Amino acid sequence: MERTIGRLGVLIAAAGLIFAACGSSTGSPAASAEPSAAASSEASAAASGEASAAPSAITAGSTGQPGDVNIVWFCCLGTGDAPEQVTVEEQVAEAFNQANPGIHLSFQAYPYTGARDALSVQIGSGNGPDIVGPIGIGGANAFHGQWLDLQPLIDKNSFDMSQFPTSTVSLYNVGGEGQVGIPYAVYPSVLFYKASLFKEAGLAEPPHQWNSTYTMPDGTKVPWDYDTVRKIALLLTVDKNGKDATEAGFDPENIVQWGFEPQRDDLRQTGAYWKAGSFVASDGKTVQMPDAWVAAWHYFYDGIWKDRIMVTGPQFLNTDFNPNGYPFFTGKVAMSENYLWSLYGISDAGDDWNMAATPSYQGQTTAAFNADTFRILKGSKHPDEAFKVLTYLLANQDLLKLYGGMPAVESKQDAFLQGLQADYTQTIDWNVAKQGIQFADVPNFESYTPAYNQTLNLINTFGTKWQATPGLDLDKEIADMKTQMQAIWDQGGN
Amino acid sequence: MAHVTAADLEDLTARPRLFGRRRAGTTGSRPPRERGDRTRSFVLTLLAVVGLALFLSPMLRSVVYAVKSTDQITQAGTPLWPADPVTFAYQGKELPLLVVPLPDGTIRQLALFEPGRKSSMFVDPAAPDAAPIAWQGSWRTLDQIWQFAPHWENFAKVWDLIDYPRLLFNTLAIAVISTIGTLLSCTLVAYGFARFKFPGRNLLFTLLIATIFLPTAVTIIPTYTIFQKLGWVGTWLPLLIPTFFANAYDVFLMRQYFMTIPTEMDEAAAIDGAGPFRTLISVILPQAWPVVIAVAIFHLVYAWNDFFGPLIYLSSDPDIQTIALGLQRFNGVHYRDPGLIQAGTLMTLIIPVIAFLFTQRFFTRGIVITGVEK
Amino acid sequence: MIAPGAARPRSRPRFSGLAWRRARWGYVFIAPWVIGFLAFTAFPMIATLAFTFSNINLNQAEPLQFVGLRNYQTLASDQRTWDSLAVTLKFAVLALPVGVCLPFVVALLLHSRHLRGSGAFRVLFFLPYVVPFVAGVFVWQGMLSADTGWVNGLLKFLGISHPPDWLQDPTWIYPGLVIMGLWGIGGGMIIYLAGLKGIPSDLYEAAKIDGAGAFATLRHITIPMMSPVIFFTIVLGVVDVLQYFLVPLVLKNGTGEPGGSTNFFNLYLYQNFFTFQNMSYGATLAWLLFAISLVLTLLLFRSARHWVYYAGEAR
Repeated sequence: MERTIGRLGVLIAAAGLIFAACGSSTGSPAASAEPSAAASSEASAAASGEASAAPSAITAGSTGQPGDVNIVWFCCLGTGDAPEQVTVEEQVAEAFNQANPGIHLSFQAYPYTGARDALSVQIGSGNGPDIVGPIGIGGANAFHGQWLDLQPLIDKNSFDMSQFPTSTVSLYNVGGEGQVGIPYAVYPSVLFYKASLFKEAGLAEPPHQWNSTYTMPDGTKVPWDYDTVRKIALLLTVDKNGKDATEAGFDPENIVQWGFEPQRDDLRQTGAYWKAGSFVASDGKTVQMPDAWVAAWHYFYDGIWKDRIMVTGPQFLNTDFNPNGYPFFTGKVAMSENYLWSLYGISDAGDDWNMAATPSYQGQTTAAFNADTFRILKGSKHPDEAFKVLTYLLANQDLLKLYGGMPAVESKQDAFLQGLQADYTQTIDWNVAKQGIQFADVPNFESYTPAYNQTLNLINTFGTKWQATPGLDLDKEIADMKTQMQAIWDQGGN
Repeated sequence: MAHVTAADLEDLTARPRLFGRRRAGTTGSRPPRERGDRTRSFVLTLLAVVGLALFLSPMLRSVVYAVKSTDQITQAGTPLWPADPVTFAYQGKELPLLVVPLPDGTIRQLALFEPGRKSSMFVDPAAPDAAPIAWQGSWRTLDQIWQFAPHWENFAKVWDLIDYPRLLFNTLAIAVISTIGTLLSCTLVAYGFARFKFPGRNLLFTLLIATIFLPTAVTIIPTYTIFQKLGWVGTWLPLLIPTFFANAYDVFLMRQYFMTIPTEMDEAAAIDGAGPFRTLISVILPQAWPVVIAVAIFHLVYAWNDFFGPLIYLSSDPDIQTIALGLQRFNGVHYRDPGLIQAGTLMTLIIPVIAFLFTQRFFTRGIVITGVEK
Repeated sequence: MIAPGAARPRSRPRFSGLAWRRARWGYVFIAPWVIGFLAFTAFPMIATLAFTFSNINLNQAEPLQFVGLRNYQTLASDQRTWDSLAVTLKFAVLALPVGVCLPFVVALLLHSRHLRGSGAFRVLFFLPYVVPFVAGVFVWQGMLSADTGWVNGLLKFLGISHPPDWLQDPTWIYPGLVIMGLWGIGGGMIIYLAGLKGIPSDLYEAAKIDGAGAFATLRHITIPMMSPVIFFTIVLGVVDVLQYFLVPLVLKNGTGEPGGSTNFFNLYLYQNFFTFQNMSYGATLAWLLFAISLVLTLLLFRSARHWVYYAGEAR
């Protein structure tokens, strides 16, 4: 018995040593691996898009020559962590390295769920990356105060900022921090809708013209606003017996089709589709609840619990029913306000969807706006080289296509939209999206507030509660939220 | 509760002989099963089966979902078993087949062509060229026709999308090496705490346990800094090296276990001239087999599923990552396909389960030290 | 010169040669842990303690400085800290007994010689322990869903017309979380099984000869002989339940729903550290947790003298 243990032990130890040897060797590729890495990256670029071929073919890092300036590109606090995307991103980094001896760009992809923690750990230990991206405004706010003001580098390198509309440039010039980002990808909002569901209900499709009117079934023309949307959403909400929400005997426990889906990822966004606003009053430290946002929240709450035109919170979170993140993708929602980046899952909704204008509120239309870019951390040890990498990434068209973002550069937008049409069998009215940029919410809902992270945490708590609990006194809830938010702001901190 | 003192036990157990003689009466056949035993067996087994069924039922759900299509999972009112809707191709579209009761009393399977709120148009698959049939009523109240369709290709898809072989190898290597490190170091340290008296023993043992009082979230930054300064970030070393220096959980467990083993054999071995190492290997370990297996299994499973460690230290290089990381990334991308998610999860379970199947056999063995069978 | 027959000198060495040799060996064996502790663990622990006396945070807007006891003062007046401790306590009262006893019951069942096919049962009961944590949470989330979950489906089938809303009701969320944790009993089960295997069978035979029934055997033989392992499970159970936060984080996204009932202490700690990036306050909360854990563990160790039986205490 003891002998067998002994022999087994030796065997296991030997195997362990072999594994350890193999393990460490994959972690430290020699400099001589560089040429082969370049060759293999070309080969897999040719074998486009097959994720199975790529990962083993591309070694993530030729480590570069000693003496090289090392620039680290940290992904993915936004999109970019899908294996197919990682492949392209690594190729882009490799291409830069080939073209720029003396600078070594290494790309690090962290899955979205852990990326924030990982970045905190890196920054906290003084080992932060240089470039972070693609990252949205909100994602960057989580690390507020740590972004480098790019204006000096922009001036030094004579970078042309005039190619962007001034509104998008000012998105990144937040009070006191300087120009912390350069516009890259923009995602305007539209109203996605399913034509077949309108047809089945005998309703006209929503208007593609912004700020226009809608023809009701009885022929009357009404403004295309949230009241109208509510009326037709009731007709588009159907239970399993085919009764819509206006009919007697409608069974709210067995709804199989919903009329409308707002953007409910956080309360600010929901409100921003009514009107641009901010929690921060003009003095910079008092909490305000914008009237339009309060109206939006009432509409939202009643939409779920009274009118039943929207899915409830638990249904939204149910990954069986809603695996893709947005109920519109299930094909069971007639209308949904969302950003252009939601194209990632739109095919699941079927082949009859199209874009329309979002509804107006009190005569004015606002379509909330998202934007992604790459940023440089203040702690970067090589800002000049980092800026060089930054401008390279901003100009790379493969990356932009990968992320599905509309170029911020106006002259490139038409071509981009034409390119998207190739993925769909039905003709989408892309012009709606292009026009949507003008209706962006300024100030953007993701703008910085005091104690940004804690504020976000607070509104998420309330938002989740409202979506899951009928019978609340919503005005009281909003008052509570305001008081608690003010307390957090007064306490200070992040 | 009455205390069992050492004296009681000494009365109950005959003093074990050393090295050679078996005690009479402890080996040999079991007494013949009595009737009461059989009923007891039956009841107990039944209880176990019911408990197990309840306990494992969510797994059944996972298994079933792993072979369903996404469409089926997201739609309400579909069969429990994996099924696809039966469709009919008409004018370039796949139309679903419904069971339609017609005004003339017959019930036919027709394809839904144009759904409408109050009336719909159907096409008869048996007569596709005939004019579409109008039907009054709400089509949503009709039953749909399904066919059994397990989607085994979900597993193949996961295999490709997740680079399974490499992740499997990485995870296996890390899990095995760290388990070996844990076993080696924890056995030694536990033996020291269990069998030796030395100044400061209690203080050090308390300190050992106290190391788990601080949540990882808090110590991660300084710990990461240490490894970063050592240049170990981006390699497996931060996950492997510390395991060779023992951890509080396993030392505590093994120490407890070692302390249940009577010291008589130790003393006998000492009299025979065995040093501490020899005693550990020849006397303690053979009696402590179950806890060694337990620690091995725990650590294997822990290393297999560990996400945070690989996230922090391995994310910079996809070639060295583990399955936990790969699966998380996969889920983040493919959460549109719940079927794929379930298939992926099931596939990552396989190795630990096989490892357990292999090692749990040891639980059936008795512990045999030369002389006494337990 | 000592006269023959005189009394031995008073100042005898405290350790005889043999005892000192034993002690040296003791140090040798625990050396791996001591080295590892000094290399990897001591610095982070001390560093985090240092954090509590500073104003360190990720965004270091004000210069890093020593702030004395300011964080501790905040701690004392922070209502959220004490509320979250209460939440953790409420959960512990339910979760700890279940976590200690249920695996024991299952282990007894699997160890029983009356069970047929115990090998298969062992594997199957252990199986869910291997499921990756997050996957397990999602699976059980589906099972406990109020309207579509199988648990409520079964309850309705058994005649309970209004089964609890496990995940949304502030009272039923704790049993719901305990149910979600059930898949983890495989671990405790293995430990208990190992312990049961170590009990000499002649003890049972002697008890049988004395006419002891099943329950008496359990009380007087099994549990005392298992007491070291039971003690281990309790101590670790206490430490783990104090640090419980991952499930509510994944399940409720850290919002504390329903109605603040999942605002666990360690969740608040994690949020302070990573979400609000306030490392100094997070570290302060951590050391509060440390203090609580230490006190409870020391109490448990003291109580152990009265009920834990070690057959092989070091001589």
